[in-house]
Amino acid sequence: MRSRSKKKSKPLKWIRFRIIVVGAALGVCFALMMGRAFQLQVIEGEQLRSKAVGQYKKALHNCSKRGSIYDRNRAELAVSIDLSSICAYPGKISSTKKTASALARTLNMKRRPVLEKLLSGKRFVWIKRHADPTEVSQVRDLELDGIDFVTESRRFYPLKSLAAQVIGFCGMDGRGLEGLEFYYDSFLKGRETNRTVLRDALGRGFNAKGPSPEGKPGHNLILTIDKNIQYITEQALSEGVMEFWAKSGIALVIAPRTGAVLAMAHVPRFNPNSFGQYEPWSWRNRAITDSFEPGSTLKIFLSAAALESGACNPRSAFYCEDGAYRIGKNVVHDVRPHAELSLQDILKYSSNIGAAKVGEKVGAAYLYNKLKEFGLGERLGVDCPGEIRGSLLRVGDWTEIDTVAISFGQGLSVSALQLAAAVSAIANDGILMKPYLVQGMTDVQGRIIKSFQPTVLRQVISSENAWRLTRMMERTVEKGGTGVRAALRGHRVVGKTGTAQKADPARRGYSKDKYISSFVGFVPAENPEIVVLVIVDEPQKHHYGGVVAAPVFRRIIRETLRYLKVPPELATPEFTGPGRGNKREGQRRPGETLRVSYEAPAMG
Amino acid sequence: MKKKRVSKKRNPMIGILWVVAVVVLMAELLVYTWCRVQYVQTGYEITEATQEHLHLKELYSKLKIERARLRSPERITRIARQRGLVMPDSKQVVVIP
Repeated sequence: MRSRSKKKSKPLKWIRFRIIVVGAALGVCFALMMGRAFQLQVIEGEQLRSKAVGQYKKALHNCSKRGSIYDRNRAELAVSIDLSSICAYPGKISSTKKTASALARTLNMKRRPVLEKLLSGKRFVWIKRHADPTEVSQVRDLELDGIDFVTESRRFYPLKSLAAQVIGFCGMDGRGLEGLEFYYDSFLKGRETNRTVLRDALGRGFNAKGPSPEGKPGHNLILTIDKNIQYITEQALSEGVMEFWAKSGIALVIAPRTGAVLAMAHVPRFNPNSFGQYEPWSWRNRAITDSFEPGSTLKIFLSAAALESGACNPRSAFYCEDGAYRIGKNVVHDVRPHAELSLQDILKYSSNIGAAKVGEKVGAAYLYNKLKEFGLGERLGVDCPGEIRGSLLRVGDWTEIDTVAISFGQGLSVSALQLAAAVSAIANDGILMKPYLVQGMTDVQGRIIKSFQPTVLRQVISSENAWRLTRMMERTVEKGGTGVRAALRGHRVVGKTGTAQKADPARRGYSKDKYISSFVGFVPAENPEIVVLVIVDEPQKHHYGGVVAAPVFRRIIRETLRYLKVPPELATPEFTGPGRGNKREGQRRPGETLRVSYEAPAMG
Repeated sequence: MKKKRVSKKRNPMIGILWVVAVVVLMAELLVYTWCRVQYVQTGYEITEATQEHLHLKELYSKLKIERARLRSPERITRIARQRGLVMPDSKQVVVIP
């Protein structure tokens, strides 16, 4: 019995031994696995988790799209489009020389600068920003190592040079650098956002979480500019500048009832799509940033001051010294000698001596205050960068000759916008409106976020005197007046010429051959729709405002009135004009048609 | 002494319940997997639709630019001049009240 049990227990022990060995081995393996699991999950858990997330999650940086700029009829003036830029990670390029050659050949660039970029030692370099879609496609087909494509937004101006100085332009990074692009940059540029996209093993993104892939787009701007009126104005100004071989020109069209700027034209023009090819001075909105001596156009405000002070009426007579008037050491001259002129004739014939005498009669203090009230020598607060104040000496600093000189537009400077806004006040029953260029902002869906209403600044002169002045200015465009070339068949045109000598720093006085010719006026006389100012800088063949600027004014009003569908006030095909003596001056009768025969302008 | 084996008679319902439980579990697993697959598939579709939407928006934007370029007053004037059109004289304009 015992020997049998011994025989039986031996294999049983062996089995137990084997079980123990296998169990121990499995136990050790399990312990190792647990240890490894502990290491992966606890000790290195955080690090490995972030590594894994980096492989299947991708953080995308969404560049916001810049808002568009529209004209008052919602025509696109500035828009943003997506373009691809080609970049490189030099560290990931296997063959730098071959890559540089291939890129240079495809992108039509020189090989050396491309190679220099790739050998610069930087981690990231731009090869070509805002490349053409065909170029991008060709580079993609090359399948080069270390070459990547980044989608960037680029500003595009579909109407090219139209209103370029007003709109301005953006730099490569999409930030506004000039004009309204600069002034409203914070509204136009959107907000950049980040979002996370899950990627599969093939790198395809899915199930994006977070905000829209376009970022938060910027607001759109709706301008008061009308692209057609802007075009008419630019064309007319260009032709005028070319005809008289002038250095440059500025023209403005303003709606006098609201102060809305309908056109702001500059010559020479520039294309904001390639602004780098033009001289920086041509980028500037000179209607706002530059000032000039207004010359005889200032006689409008002198006359306004004379009427408003009560010292004169349109028929008040002044002796004009037969063409030469001595004040101390200085002598004031008229282009044509006159013996005696009424206030309205001083304006019509643009007599400097007459203006000097009116200025003396009104008095320096009153004239100064009235010029200030018209907005001269102060910023009007237009929504555009770089608005200049102009210069108007404090009245305490005026000498006797200053009063005389300022009376006919010398010794002070104004911006084109100030001058046009001041004349708009006369067209608007004496109420000065704040000029503005942006009438509203909309969101990406086109809903209005903010609208800018016309702003009344102040009543400068009475409505009655505004109408008297209108009648006086209308005579400037009649036969014998300095502005006959501005007359337009069928319409009653109101205006004033200006010819100012430019200051010559070398001579410490006025230049003998450099002039600024200008014409400012409005139409129709009864119910003014537009105020137009034309300034031509340094014309060569002629320099009188009535010869150089008045025809430009005429063309602008002719085409703009037609575009605005303003019917002729004077229905007969013959020229008819304002009546004299058939109603009391200063008495306005809306709707009344004045039909008195009127000769066609001799020079117009 | 020889032990007597006592044979227990198993309840057939238990087997059926096991089978049902396994089937339910399997079905649940399949449904869950199907849901996950659908979820991923829908994710792809959403991504594709978003890309398509962006592409169409970009196309729309480009078409708007093209329209703006074609409506440019400069271009229209040039074409009009080429075809011999001129601005009408004020006598030729009849304003209908």
